[in-house]
Amino acid sequence: MKKLNFLIIIIMLAVASCEKDNTSAASGDKTTSTSSTGQGGSLARFTTALDHMYVVDNSTLYTYSLADAAHPQLKGNINVGFNIETIYSYKDKLFVGSSAAMYVYSLADPAHPSKLGQASHVRSCDPVVANDSIAYVTVRGNTRCGGTTNALMVYDVKYITQPLLRKTVNMESPWGLGIKGNRLYVCNGYTGLNVYDITDPINPKLIKQLAGNTFYDVIMLDDLMVAMIEGGTALFELKPNDEISMTAKITN
Amino acid sequence: MKRQYFIAGLLAVLALASCDPFGYNKKKTNPQPVKQPPAEVDGWAPVYNTDPANAEIKSMPPRNIDKGGKIYVKGDTLYEVEAGKGIHVILINQPQNPQKIAFINVLGAQEVAIKNNVLYTNNINDLVALDITNTSDVKTIDRISNVFHLVDVNYPPGTGYFECVDKSKGTVVGWETKTLNYPKCSR
Repeated sequence: MKKLNFLIIIIMLAVASCEKDNTSAASGDKTTSTSSTGQGGSLARFTTALDHMYVVDNSTLYTYSLADAAHPQLKGNINVGFNIETIYSYKDKLFVGSSAAMYVYSLADPAHPSKLGQASHVRSCDPVVANDSIAYVTVRGNTRCGGTTNALMVYDVKYITQPLLRKTVNMESPWGLGIKGNRLYVCNGYTGLNVYDITDPINPKLIKQLAGNTFYDVIMLDDLMVAMIEGGTALFELKPNDEISMTAKITN
Repeated sequence: MKRQYFIAGLLAVLALASCDPFGYNKKKTNPQPVKQPPAEVDGWAPVYNTDPANAEIKSMPPRNIDKGGKIYVKGDTLYEVEAGKGIHVILINQPQNPQKIAFINVLGAQEVAIKNNVLYTNNINDLVALDITNTSDVKTIDRISNVFHLVDVNYPPGTGYFECVDKSKGTVVGWETKTLNYPKCSR
């Protein structure tokens, strides 16, 4: 059985409200900062939520209280599984991605995450980002994890313990992704960045491709996209009518 | 009757073809395939440190981005990890003109998160909290040692192919993703 590797990006579809929460602090001089934490990409092993920080190493999830930000307090650790790669928090849930499964933890008690369920048929080789009723998952082949499938997959996660695959969209080299309004931005490795219209969330429609750089991950801000590209970072201004223009490249 | 013989013969040929009683197919393909490393594959490579002076956590002048790594944005500042070495601090309030303002030297750094004016990162396998009120003079305000195991000196933090560790090149302080050619190590 060939190993597939999945880049799982689960993004809330209640985006409007979620993005406001997540990006208010990240948009700098454009809005008043209300959040005390910033925003990471989808490749992270550190994430913050509900005044706690969560860290995953190869096998374990560690919980630190940030009640006193200067002095994190280790609250405990949980053995999750093998080959853990990423962690993503959304509202009161944690999504942990490993090369064999996606694990979902409840943060009803933020100091003590408790396992809600897992989707073992999903293999995640890289980032996990989170979602409400729909999960967008990328599966990348020819990587360190093996496998040959390259696709964006759409999962129904209304019942979080039982994700249902609803759609598979073939891609070349999908990595991290981000969502903003009814647009889904998927890093497509050496081929660039794909932009999908997700007005119908189950059926992403490709509306734009941005070539010229190798894209690995994105952070979506108010009208700015920060992209991790080969050799550094690039900044893109998001304009009306899906116009995306690179404003700067920081690679040296 | 002839037709029946013909069909029986055809079936026999098909049966023989599929069961390969003489092992022709075995001769063509290697029965015990040696796992050949791929000519080109995404994998991991160790990051080495050779200079003990790099062990100190401190602000330094902005420096060139070598590989680049994970990204984090708070307010109008972008933090980009340089795998194994530290964190670039870049002002992005003017998207046309981003300014690198500092480099935070943290050996083994792979991850970053921030709350208020405190930056959390890994100093190899220690969680460190840094006061970044003044990014050109960060202070280590707390350290929790040896809880997690983000950096393994022998193996990368994931499965698949990796560049074999060569201890003569220094101490392994982290791992970076890399396109590998015919990698000899995997896990």
